[in-house]
Amino acid sequence: MKETRLAIKILKTLTKDRLQYPGRLMVDTLTVISRCGILLLLYWYVYNLKGGLINGTSFVFVAWSIFFYFSFSTLRLRDIARQIMVDIQSGNVEVLFSKPVSYLSYRAWWQIGLGLYSFLVITAVAGLGLYLLIGLPFTMTLSLFLPTLILTFLFAGALSLLIYIAVGLLAFWIEDVNPVFWIVDKAIMILGGSYLPVALFPPLMYKMALYSPFGASQFVTHTVNESWASNWYQLIGIQIFWIIIISIVVYFMFEQAKKKVSVNGG
Amino acid sequence: MKKELYFALYAIKKNIQSSAELRTSFLMNVVGMAINNTAFIILWVFFVKSVGVIGGWTAADIIGLMGFSTISYGIVFSVAGGIRRISEYTLSGVFDHFMLSPKNLLLRVATSYFGASVIGDFIFGLACLIIYAILIQASLFQIALIILMILATSLVFLAVTIMIYSLSFFFTEAENVTRGLFEFFLTPSLFHGGAFQGVMRFVFTFIVPSLLLGAIPVEAVRDVSLSKIILTIALGLIWFVLSLKLFNYAVKRYESSNFMTFGS
Repeated sequence: MKETRLAIKILKTLTKDRLQYPGRLMVDTLTVISRCGILLLLYWYVYNLKGGLINGTSFVFVAWSIFFYFSFSTLRLRDIARQIMVDIQSGNVEVLFSKPVSYLSYRAWWQIGLGLYSFLVITAVAGLGLYLLIGLPFTMTLSLFLPTLILTFLFAGALSLLIYIAVGLLAFWIEDVNPVFWIVDKAIMILGGSYLPVALFPPLMYKMALYSPFGASQFVTHTVNESWASNWYQLIGIQIFWIIIISIVVYFMFEQAKKKVSVNGG
Repeated sequence: MKKELYFALYAIKKNIQSSAELRTSFLMNVVGMAINNTAFIILWVFFVKSVGVIGGWTAADIIGLMGFSTISYGIVFSVAGGIRRISEYTLSGVFDHFMLSPKNLLLRVATSYFGASVIGDFIFGLACLIIYAILIQASLFQIALIILMILATSLVFLAVTIMIYSLSFFFTEAENVTRGLFEFFLTPSLFHGGAFQGVMRFVFTFIVPSLLLGAIPVEAVRDVSLSKIILTIALGLIWFVLSLKLFNYAVKRYESSNFMTFGS
């Protein structure tokens, strides 16, 4: 109950904060335009050049898959790694450890709160725009699409947070986690279907995307594929598997990390 | 002028020495950034494999594109990393320190910061361009062109970065605005150059000069195109002059601030 109250309070406060600073929404919008918008225009041109089909996939599938990737990225869950690193380097972690709330859940809700407003606004506006421009693939009109999208989205969020929390906690042992962050982030970018949608992956890369935690954290991009109707439960199963494994890893890392902290007061 | 350059070189040397003090972190940053950049090559090479040749661009050209983009990023932020912190300096009032310095203001600000990871960008870019030269079996003239284009792309990169971060003096929430604009400029420079055609090519060459960082230099070297070489250098010079003018104009808007408060 206390946890839920804390989560709601954080989300409310940060959403109000975001409403006060429209500049941050502008950054997120420009990022989505510069990455997703330009990329979609390039794919549109390439598809026109190739007669409308590449690897048996049409533009509408690829466009929505890329859109889901970039829409999900506006939540900025990955920033939690750097936030944890800053807490550790600045000593702020000592203060937060002494509070009667779980540090990791506080940081996780904080991160969700920071990106929630931009995510909702950009997803709604850009999604509507994309729908008006290119329409929907038939896979998005199936009855199972929306419930499974929500389910895989929630698991993707949880898995992303856990992966980046693990990266952030490394700051207890190494001076600078940025290099590890870049490598993990790029693994997610490649296997998540950012610039190259999963529908265009070569077979080996597709398998890597399917069975690695990096690919699993972005399964929202698979929801538009034709194969989703038949293998969604398998993919969600993979997400749950990785959530359990990485939760255990994070738990043990955090327990070890706590032993390295000395709260001196002042 | 000579004195100013000596000062800049001294500041850069000290920045690098200071960063290299934390040896493990320094090396991890350099290697990590090089691996990070490889991701873009992997993505676009797979794109070429799936989609085929677009606009005459092969996998070798993608390596060249990454080479030009990352080496110019590495060069500019090795010597002028402080430009990216202008918005932070103006917001916190730190910019006062630079204004009080008897050195050239832009030079002083530019050489105020150095991040180790840019060395990784530089090394990665250099390796990519060497591989590119081998793959296209570059003649001596083309190798000379690659060197010339590195200078030209660095000039474009420096100019546009100064321009974007000079906007820090116009906005209250400058950090977010400049970050967004910089992203808007940089990201398309890492995209497959062959897919930019027609209006898109015009926009990203003349209005947002992202293609001048990689795509056009690659085509200039590959096709030994005099028009593209002249275009890159000329636009680089124009952007540079404009950026200096904007910076000098923008600085006049800066209002000195400090953290001294009345009362408690």
